Amino acid sequence: MAVIGTAPNQPGAPNQPPGSEEATLGKAYDLALVRRLWPFVRPHWKLLLAWAIFMPLTIAFELAQPALFRYALTEHILTGKIDALPLDAIAYMALVVAQGGSAFCETWFLQLAGQRTMHAMRSAIFDHVLAQRAAFFDRIPVGRLMTRMTNDIESLNEMFAQGAITLIADLVKMVGIIVIMLLIDTTLALLTFATLPFLIVLVEYARRLMRASFRQIRVRLAAMNAFAQEHLSGIKVVQLLGRGPTAQREYNEINAGHRDAYLGQIRADASMYAIVEAIGTVAVALVIWYASGHRAENIAMIGVVVVFIEYINKFFIPVRDLSQKYAVMQGAMAASERIFQLLDTKDWDGVESGPARVATAADGPEPFGGGDHSDRPAVELAGVHFSYGAEPVLRGVDVRVPRGATVAVVGATGSGKSTVIKLLTRLYERDQGAIRLDGVDIRELPLPELRRRITVVSQDVILFAGTLADNIALGKTYTPAQLEAAIRRVGLDRALARRGGGGAGAAGSIDAPVAERGSNFSAGERQLVAFARALLRDPEILILDEATAHVDPEAEELIERGVAELMKGRTTLVIAHRLSTIRNADLIVVMDKGQVVEQGTHAELVARGGFYAALERTFRRQDP
Amino acid sequence: MSTDAPAPAATPSSLGYLRPYRGQLAWGVAMLLLTNAFYLGVPEMLGRAVDAIGKQTDREIAMIVLWMAVFAVLTAITRIWSRIWIFNAARAAEYDLRSDLFGHLMTLSPSYYRKTPVGDVMSRLTNDVQTVRAVWGFGLVSLANALLAFVSVLGVMLWTDPIVTLWVILPFPLIYVVGQAMSKRIFGTMRAVQAELGTLSSRIQEDLGAIQVIKTYGLEGVRRRGFVEGSDRLLRANMDAAKVRIQLGPMLNALAALGMALLIFFGGRAYVHDDMTKGEIVAFSGYLARLVWPTLTLGFLLALVQRGRASWMRLVQLQQTKPDIPDGAGPPLPASDLPARVEVKDLTLRYDDRAVLEHIDLTLEPGTVTAIVGRTGSGKSTLVDALCRLIEVPPGTILIDGHDVSTLPLASLRAQIGYAPQEAFLFSTTISDNIAMGYGAGTAIPAARARELERVIGMAASADLRDEPKVTAAAAAAGLVRDLVVMPEGLGTIVGERGITLSGGQRQRVALARALAASPRLLVLDDSLSSVDAETERLILKHLRAVMHGRTAVLISHRVAAIKDADQIVVLDAGRIVARGTHHQLLAAGGLYSELYRTQLDPETTQPTTPVTFDAAEGTK
Repeated sequence: MAVIGTAPNQPGAPNQPPGSEEATLGKAYDLALVRRLWPFVRPHWKLLLAWAIFMPLTIAFELAQPALFRYALTEHILTGKIDALPLDAIAYMALVVAQGGSAFCETWFLQLAGQRTMHAMRSAIFDHVLAQRAAFFDRIPVGRLMTRMTNDIESLNEMFAQGAITLIADLVKMVGIIVIMLLIDTTLALLTFATLPFLIVLVEYARRLMRASFRQIRVRLAAMNAFAQEHLSGIKVVQLLGRGPTAQREYNEINAGHRDAYLGQIRADASMYAIVEAIGTVAVALVIWYASGHRAENIAMIGVVVVFIEYINKFFIPVRDLSQKYAVMQGAMAASERIFQLLDTKDWDGVESGPARVATAADGPEPFGGGDHSDRPAVELAGVHFSYGAEPVLRGVDVRVPRGATVAVVGATGSGKSTVIKLLTRLYERDQGAIRLDGVDIRELPLPELRRRITVVSQDVILFAGTLADNIALGKTYTPAQLEAAIRRVGLDRALARRGGGGAGAAGSIDAPVAERGSNFSAGERQLVAFARALLRDPEILILDEATAHVDPEAEELIERGVAELMKGRTTLVIAHRLSTIRNADLIVVMDKGQVVEQGTHAELVARGGFYAALERTFRRQDP
Repeated sequence: MSTDAPAPAATPSSLGYLRPYRGQLAWGVAMLLLTNAFYLGVPEMLGRAVDAIGKQTDREIAMIVLWMAVFAVLTAITRIWSRIWIFNAARAAEYDLRSDLFGHLMTLSPSYYRKTPVGDVMSRLTNDVQTVRAVWGFGLVSLANALLAFVSVLGVMLWTDPIVTLWVILPFPLIYVVGQAMSKRIFGTMRAVQAELGTLSSRIQEDLGAIQVIKTYGLEGVRRRGFVEGSDRLLRANMDAAKVRIQLGPMLNALAALGMALLIFFGGRAYVHDDMTKGEIVAFSGYLARLVWPTLTLGFLLALVQRGRASWMRLVQLQQTKPDIPDGAGPPLPASDLPARVEVKDLTLRYDDRAVLEHIDLTLEPGTVTAIVGRTGSGKSTLVDALCRLIEVPPGTILIDGHDVSTLPLASLRAQIGYAPQEAFLFSTTISDNIAMGYGAGTAIPAARARELERVIGMAASADLRDEPKVTAAAAAAGLVRDLVVMPEGLGTIVGERGITLSGGQRQRVALARALAASPRLLVLDDSLSSVDAETERLILKHLRAVMHGRTAVLISHRVAAIKDADQIVVLDAGRIVARGTHHQLLAAGGLYSELYRTQLDPETTQPTTPVTFDAAEGTK
């Protein structure tokens, strides 16, 4: 994707097409990125302040060392005051230790600021991602979101460790050196700085070379990674089509392009490093040349020469290593660009305008509970249309679920049954029509309230790593007694007892461990866990997507009893696959191709002689 | 330096990758040697100049200054070349390593990718390779430079004044001791950071995989708390690591600076006792200053080498992962235009302890259509994956035209099969390229990207395949024509990453067209029309009957319309074949098939038995 100049238009993606995210890399200006980073850094200004206090201290201790050496040389060594030397040596060591201590504190505060900033950014990305609607996750692969929160954050952290902020310290040090040199010997200092214009021109030239180089590197790196990512994600297809060797050839070409992009950068980097070093040596030569003219003040001049040479060395080292820091910065900037691109992809869950409305609306009065709504259906879909992209899934669906009733939806795979669930909980937004709860459009309801009133039990029950209690309580607080009661009511205790001794969950203990993705629970057990979850939440409206997965007859019976317990006296919309569920429903809705083609009670529909009657007939043929 | 020294014996050294470039590296190191020799001239001249101040003539001073300038230029030239040789060699070795890894990754079986997230593999291919390259390039330059600086500087110092030299270099052996001790601590804390990062990553993965549950149950707050805790633990581990790492610099600096303190004391005494000239003292201070930077670089190098070692281990681990589906050693399948005959003989497959398929016996006669039905998790997809050998099967259990698939070269087997999976995966190129891949043509680089690559790298642009008859025929058979008409570029439309610009149904149909374009002898459709709306599916199925004529086909579908005309229908339940026969036979027999059939409630097939009209539906004729 990376180098496609004209990204294709993305229908159905309201903001930025996230699929082509590498396309715009390298366009954002670094300064703009730094400005965007600032809000994350600002809360840690106290740490940065502490850093800003220790940083000049470290520099002062460091720059005092050549001065002390000069003092010892001119005042004691060259004048033969040998008794003062131990003290000089000790004082020198004291400066070194002070520098080390100060440097440790300086770096520690900087690291802490950096780590806290990264922690804040990681949390911000997490919050941002979780607040997106479900369609967002259909478009952006999970792997990419993970990379943003882990690897990209780590490389951004490098900026604190080695990049932009240490650059400030270098600058302070260089200014300090200039000031000290001017104070010691103005003429000699000015003579030394005669090399500076060359240095500035060189650095600027090298910087431009490297900037161009790095832009190319960034683009090619992105292209290479996009290619690898694509082929690894589609490995099954790659192998089935026997494209391995072709892909390898193409990858090699992109890889070679990436390698060659560095040729220029390596040349620029090596030249800059060496030439800066050479300019430093020339500056030293200038100092010697100047000093040789002062034959009278022999000893003092030697001291000046020694101290100048030390300072010149210290002055040139940061310049020499500038290109390396520049490289680190480039990596960090590329990472932050990707992170901000993700943060700019806004497809908020529940509202069109942003998450703020969810929060404020949640504080408002609850629109249900007061008044008598018995005349209104608990759930109502009126003329609902919906499509995933181009293909219509629902084409004008009308369903009314009266309070306390059980409505079964039946229909072929792809008839749109499951989509109804997703629209009811606003995982997706309907395109046309209205969905109402007690006569209130669900878009008027705060999202948390809507999702509190409706509980969905889906076919694929997802369990989180933790304990059974965690998985049933799901973030709410219940007493162990409540949890155990729920487990008993849905029959989960009996299901767990079937496991036999030994297993941690053998006794149906609420502390039984749950492995990642619930892999130590069978499909049937997972269903029962979901029932227990729903039972404890005691929702106003239950939505049940019956599982079609195979379970043994004994588990089947437990599940059937669990479902019955759960549905008792509750408004229920069930996507039915089981004969018993369908027959017992108060109302059966038959869906086909995104439309409701029939509805009524079992008896009505049989009498009507349509779809359902045909179904009925096959039932009868099956069970005479 | 050698990254392999502390690793287990089985780990090959990363330096093997540098072997092809040893000539370049030798040049680079030779240049570094010269650099250090020339660089030594500067403090030497400095010392002479100091001794000369007040005594010598202008001409001698001018000579000294001139010599310094000459040394500066020579140092610069050799320095530039040393860095270019070594860094370029490191980049070249990086290319080889990356290329090897990618090639290896292409051979690993789908089961590996089921266990390993792609993000994890990508991180190895990018970050770990970069770290190893940094060891090769920057690490090698720094190490060679530091060693050469130590040897050359110490040599000159010993030559000038051995006694003072021995005193001032006294602290330097400590650098080694400190470095050794610290590198162990650095490695330990870094491992802790990696562990926390791993925990956090799997947490993120768990949350993103469960996003619908998190939303519908309003779990954002709970999951966030857990995430923040994990992120905070990572922060702490990072700070623990930082604490160790940032001690190293000041400690090494102090050790190096101790030399200066010793010089003040011992050098001063030596001067007073006339054992050293003032110029020699100044030169010594210059020499010692020369050693500070290499010492500090060594500290950085230690951390780098530790990181490089960890990265290299991860790469070796990846490279040592063997593909669990080896290429068959036997001769390739003889070429033929006739439909394939496939036999499955007593096939049993187990994951862990669970049997996924048990005692499957099945024959696909040439030119027949076999449908596989069953509930979710009954083993349908596993069975068709086994036919394509995407899953390793016991020898002799699957035969194609009488040849055991495990003896066939994979390419030869898969060339016979056109496979359209449920999760249609498209490459970010044009639709025509995607279809043409079915018969080995097409490029995996998008046309636009190929053009850009041609510009920047000089790579040949791909041919435009949109008028290729095979492509257009396959697109038509897969019911794509209606969609292509409304796309501005038609078959030349670029589909975006993973085909994101297309709808789910469109993606599935492009994948179907790709499978058909191969004119396969065995066509496998794994629920490959599940996202296609029923109306379009009906049209496609009509086409397909024609396309499947003269081919052996296997199809999995949840829709009765798709399977009722199959020559045989196989009903799978919990990994076993529980029934087989035609639609009518199975319906008459009752059992699981008729149960599945009922719940499908497909009106198209229900209708003929009940010829009544109904008002609500637009109906079927």
